[in-house]
Amino acid sequence: MEEIAIVGQVVGGKFGDIVIRQKAGSNLEIGDLMVSEENGSILILQVFALEYGSQIQDKMQQMMSGVNLEQGIVDAQFYEPEFVNYVLARIKPLARVYRESGDVKIPKSLPSFFNKLRLITSNDLNFLHKEKDSIFVGYIRSGSKVIKEAEVWLPSEDVFSHHVLIPATTGRGKSNLVKTILWHVLDSNKVGALVLDAHDEYFGRQGVGLKDHPRARENLVYYTPSNPPAGANRLTVNLQSVKPEHFEGIVDFSDAQFQAIRSYYWKQRDTWLTTLMLTAPEAAEDRIASITMSVIQRKMRLILGLVKDEEGHLVSKHEVFDSATKGFTTVDDIVKDIEQGKVVVLDTSRLGDEAELIVGNIIATKLFEKYKAYKATGELARKPVATVVIEEAPRVIGVDVLTTKNDNIYSTIAKEGRKFKVGLTAITQLSSVIPRSILANMNTKIILGNEMKQEREAIISSASQDLSEDDKNIASLDKGEAIITSIFVPFAMPIKIPLFEDIVKEKGILAQTGKTKVF
Amino acid sequence: MRFAHLSDIHLGFQKHEALQKIEQQVFEKIFDQCIARKVDFILIPGDLFHVNIPEMRVQKFAFAKFRQIYDAEIPVYVVYGSHDFSPVSNSVIDLLAEVGYITKVTKATSSDDGKIKLDFLVDKKTGVKIAGLSGLKVGKDREYYEKLDSSSLEAELGFKIFLFHGGISEMKTESGMEGEHMPLSLLPRYFDYYAGGHMHKFNAQKFDDHPNVVYPGTPFAGYHSDLEDNAKGQKRGFVIVEFEDKIKSIEFIEIENTRIADSVNKELQDKIRDVDPTQQVIIIKVQGEMTKGKTADVDISAIRDELNLKGALVVNINKNQLTSKEYSITEAKGANKEEIEINVFSENIGQLRFEQKNLVGEPGVQLAKKLLAGFVQQKLENEKNADYNARIKKNAFGILGLDTDAS
Repeated sequence: MEEIAIVGQVVGGKFGDIVIRQKAGSNLEIGDLMVSEENGSILILQVFALEYGSQIQDKMQQMMSGVNLEQGIVDAQFYEPEFVNYVLARIKPLARVYRESGDVKIPKSLPSFFNKLRLITSNDLNFLHKEKDSIFVGYIRSGSKVIKEAEVWLPSEDVFSHHVLIPATTGRGKSNLVKTILWHVLDSNKVGALVLDAHDEYFGRQGVGLKDHPRARENLVYYTPSNPPAGANRLTVNLQSVKPEHFEGIVDFSDAQFQAIRSYYWKQRDTWLTTLMLTAPEAAEDRIASITMSVIQRKMRLILGLVKDEEGHLVSKHEVFDSATKGFTTVDDIVKDIEQGKVVVLDTSRLGDEAELIVGNIIATKLFEKYKAYKATGELARKPVATVVIEEAPRVIGVDVLTTKNDNIYSTIAKEGRKFKVGLTAITQLSSVIPRSILANMNTKIILGNEMKQEREAIISSASQDLSEDDKNIASLDKGEAIITSIFVPFAMPIKIPLFEDIVKEKGILAQTGKTKVF
Repeated sequence: MRFAHLSDIHLGFQKHEALQKIEQQVFEKIFDQCIARKVDFILIPGDLFHVNIPEMRVQKFAFAKFRQIYDAEIPVYVVYGSHDFSPVSNSVIDLLAEVGYITKVTKATSSDDGKIKLDFLVDKKTGVKIAGLSGLKVGKDREYYEKLDSSSLEAELGFKIFLFHGGISEMKTESGMEGEHMPLSLLPRYFDYYAGGHMHKFNAQKFDDHPNVVYPGTPFAGYHSDLEDNAKGQKRGFVIVEFEDKIKSIEFIEIENTRIADSVNKELQDKIRDVDPTQQVIIIKVQGEMTKGKTADVDISAIRDELNLKGALVVNINKNQLTSKEYSITEAKGANKEEIEINVFSENIGQLRFEQKNLVGEPGVQLAKKLLAGFVQQKLENEKNADYNARIKKNAFGILGLDTDAS
C-alpha cells in the first residue's frame, strides 16, 4: 500500500467527530486510517462513519430520480456530478506522532481546518517496531486494507501480567488468534502459560499447530489423557493432588456436603477422596448422614468420572484421575515448566466442564501459591510472567458464579494476580456477564467481530481507549480482523491477524536431513 | 522362564573403604542370586559402573563376577548408562563385551533422513527379542527417541523387551526428582517389558501401550542422597521376571545393604578378637559413614574396656572420621546471615532426638542461635587462651542453664 494521494479535506465537525469531504474516486471505508500533515507532527485519524453530502437540495434530487425512474429518460445526469454530490466521512483523531522524536501522544487538538488528508502509509507507522521479548498479534489494518510492513508487537511480560481478554463470537478467528499469540510466546522463555485447551486445537495433533514451532521441543509441553503422540505427556493427576478447596467456586456443594468433604480431608489427608468414594454411605464417619454421603459420591462420580473397578479400586473413566500409583508429580511438573517460561497445553477435550476447571484449578492454585511465596522471598523478579489461558471464561469469572459461589482461583488471579506476575488470558463470547471490576482489570483486549450489541457495549465501556464511536466498527469486523485496546498501545489499533497456517509455513520447523550418530 | 533385571549399580562410586565393601558385596549377592535362581538371562540397562573407566580394583572384582556368570552360561544384555557411556566405545562395558561376558544391545543404523532404526537381537535359549538404546550424557536422549523409527519396532511380533536408560515423567513418584525426564510416549509401544535404568528407586507401572515399565532402582547407591534414602529404610534390590509368551510375574528381590552402629560394633569386636594387646599401645581409628543411627551408638567404651582387661598399656580410639548420614546438615537459604542461621537450625533440628523439650523444636532453635552467638565471640586483646576458653565455656553453660561448678 504505497499510494500517497489526497483522499479528503477537513470541512467541519468537532474534536472526536471531524467531518471531511471525500475526494471523488477515493472510496473510503469504515476503519480507514488517514493522516493530516501538521507542523512537526502528523495526526493519525480514523473513519468511523460515512454519509452522503450534496450541494443540491434533497427535494431536487428526489425529483431528478423521479424523472429517471418514471419518465424513462435514462441519461439524465447532474452537471459536474463529482462536484455537487460527494461522500462525507466522520473521523476521529487517534494519535499524534512527532516527526523528530518519534513520540506518540494522545491528540488534544483538531487538524488544521481545510487540511488535506491522505491515507496512512507504512512510513507513518515507523514507531511500531518490535521490542525484545514481545509478541506479534498482526498487521495494522486500514479499513479492509492490510499494511503488511506495519507489524504490531505487544510487550509480552506487561501484557500477560495485566490480563488479556479476547472477546469474540464463534467463527471470528478466536482460535487462530490464540495460536498466533502462543506461537510467539514460544519464541522466548519470558512468559509461561497454562493453556486449558477444551477443543484440543492448539497443539496440532492433526494438522499444523504449536508443535511445529522451531522451539517446541524446548518450550512446549503437551498433556493429553490418552494415546499421547510421541513426545507428549499423559495427563494423569493423582487423586492425592485434589483438595477440597479445588471444588470451591466451581461445584455446587451444600454447606453440609462441604463440611463432610472437609471432615474426610482432615482425617484422611492425602487419601481423603479415595476413602470418601470407597466408603459405603451408611458407614460414613462423623455422623455424616448417609444421604449426604450418597449425594457427594454421586457428584464426585459425575464430575471426576470416578468408578469402582472389579477389584474395588477407584478409576477414572477418562483416565485423567488416578487413585493408585500414577500422576503424583504431574501438577508439580507442570508448574515447574510454567516457571521456566514454557507453554503447557492441557488437552481437556475429553473432560466435562467442571473436571476441566478443577484440573486447571489444581494447577493454577499451586502456581499462584508458589509465585506468592516467591514474592515473599524476593525471587519473583527472576521468574517469568505466568498466564492461565481459559476459554469460556464466564464459567469461572461470570457474575452469577462469583455471587452465588465462593471465589475460585481464576477470579483471585483476575483480581490480584498482577502483583505476583500471574495473569489471566480469558476468551469469551459473553463479556457482559463478567463483572465490570474484573473487565476493567483486563488491561489488554483483543476485540474480534461481535454481532451482539450488549456484548459490544460491555467491551466498549471497559476498553483502555475511547471506543464510544466504534460500535459499528466492531460489529463489522470480518474474520481475522480485530481491534487492540490496551494500556500498552498508544491508540486502539485496528489489526489483521495473519492465518496461523501461513505463519507455520513461513517460520515452522524444517524437516531435518542427515544421518544421526548412534552409540 | 525367568530373567533378572538390575540397573544403576554404579560400581566404583564409593570412596570410603567400608562403603566400597558394601557396594561390592551387594553386586556379588545379586549375581549369586541370579545363579541360584537359575535365571535365563540378565538385563542391565545402564550405569553398571559409575564412570566409563573405573579404577582397577573395581574392574578386577567386576570381571571376576562376570566370569562366574559367563561360566554359569547366563547371558547378560547391557546398554550404556549416562555414567558409563563412551562415545568412542572406550568404556569397561566395551571391554566386557569384547571378551564375551556381556552383550551390548544397541544395534542401530541411521538413514539419510536422520531416522534411527534399531534391530533386535534374539536370546538364543528363550527366543526373546531384545532391543534398546543407550543413555547419553547431557539429556541428548530425547533427541534420539524423537528420531527413532518406532513403527518397525512396534510391528515386530513375539515376546519383546526394550532396554533404555533415562527418566520417564510418568514414572516419577516424588516431586523432588530432579534431572531430565522424557514422556513415556517417546518409547516405542507394544513391547512386553520395558527394562529401565536411571531412576534409583524400584518402580513398576502398567500403561495401555506400555504394559510393564520397570525400574529396579540402584541396589545400593549412585548418589549421596541414595545413602540417605537407605538410612530412611528405602528398600534396594533387583527384579526377577517370570514369563512365557506374556509376563507372568514381576518380583522385587530385596538386598540388605545398610551399615548401622550394630554392624560397626560387631566388626570392631571381630577385629580385636584376634589381637593380643598385652603391654601394647593400641590405636584404633574408626572412619566411614553410617547409613543409619548416631555415631554415639558405636560403643567405644566397651572396646576400650575389653582391651584394657586384656592388659593393654594404652588404648586410644579415635572416631572423629566417623560420620552418619542421619545427622548430615541440610543447607538452607535466607536473605541475610541471621536468617540463614535460623533456617539451617530450623531445617535440621528435627533430626535430633532429645527428651528435654528445650533442646528440640522452636526452643531448641533459639537455644542454638544463642549458643552460636556465644561461640563466635572473638578473643579479647591480651586475653590468654585459657581465660578465653573459660569465658566462652562459662557463657555457653550459662546459655544452657547449667551450673559450671556442678560440671
